[in-house]
Amino acid sequence: MNCPIESREPEILVAYAAGELELETARALERHLDGCAACRLMVADQAVVWRALDAWEAPSVSPDFDRRLYRRIDDGVRLTWWERITRPFRPMPLRQALPLTASAGLLLMAGLLLQHPTPVAPAAPAGQIVRANQVERTLDDLELLRHFNAADTDQSPHPDAM
Amino acid sequence: MSDMGAAAIAALDYDAELMLRVKDGDGTSFGVLLEKHRASVIHFIYRLVQEQAIAEELAQEVFLRVYRSRSSYEPTAKFKTWLFRIATHLALNWLRDEKHERGQERLDDVSADLPARQVSDRRPSVEQELLYDVKREEIRRAVAGLPEKQRAAVLMHKYEEMEYTQIAKVLGCSESAVKSLLFRAYETLRARLAHMGNT
Repeated sequence: MNCPIESREPEILVAYAAGELELETARALERHLDGCAACRLMVADQAVVWRALDAWEAPSVSPDFDRRLYRRIDDGVRLTWWERITRPFRPMPLRQALPLTASAGLLLMAGLLLQHPTPVAPAAPAGQIVRANQVERTLDDLELLRHFNAADTDQSPHPDAM
Repeated sequence: MSDMGAAAIAALDYDAELMLRVKDGDGTSFGVLLEKHRASVIHFIYRLVQEQAIAEELAQEVFLRVYRSRSSYEPTAKFKTWLFRIATHLALNWLRDEKHERGQERLDDVSADLPARQVSDRRPSVEQELLYDVKREEIRRAVAGLPEKQRAAVLMHKYEEMEYTQIAKVLGCSESAVKSLLFRAYETLRARLAHMGNT
């Protein structure tokens, strides 16, 4: 076997220390280790690392881990469709949510206005002018009738004279 | 992946089969998966983030995500690979946020919480206990000093005995990249921990 360090394949030494090599490969490497101090040192150091990591125990799991998990699962299942929609916004503080809601509202209103523009009301002065003309004409007509009536009265014989 | 491929994975991987049962509405199978992987997921995350309360909180999120995505689950890889992919993703994200918030010095903080000792019938002497604490602290700091991906790779390789292909799938890189990550990580650890062989 070629020297793993010289042939730039030192991963095999890590694998050997981890006990991952097949028996045949492991035996070939062991024969090499007998005559190679550099590889022997590396394997020894790796074995130290391996043992050190073995000594690093993780703490035991909290006894209520499952209970907490199932409660969270149940909470998720019981959510109504409205709660599911509003859920992402719930943790948001009011001072963040308020400007966002206001902006969204404004955008919505702008969109609605653009889509359904309000019908343009007839210009008020024009209407007023039309109505003023009509009133003026009516008054003129009334005045004319009054004149006719007056003329009529002048030409007709006085009731006393008859 | 084709239906035949998914079926083949499910047949080879009993966990994937259990997950398919969860997909079909079998809550008991979820309980079996939780029982089987609870400790390894929590311990893996604990060794990554090195805070027990955070590790349990993140592990809850891992299993919650597994449960919530049951309806869309397809056995495209081994169940454990998928599970650890979620766990690694959440833990690395937390580490990045944490680093951003508090800075890297937290990882070197000696006062960070330490794992509770396992109860043993043979009580060690005070001196032995002190030695053990010093050693454990040294290992913890050596692992914490590794870059995040190297750390995750070492933990999966050492404690979960995962194959290079599985680790590659979890980390989203090639198998040769995993070998390289592991070699560099162990090189650093050898430099930091080799003196322990003399004690």
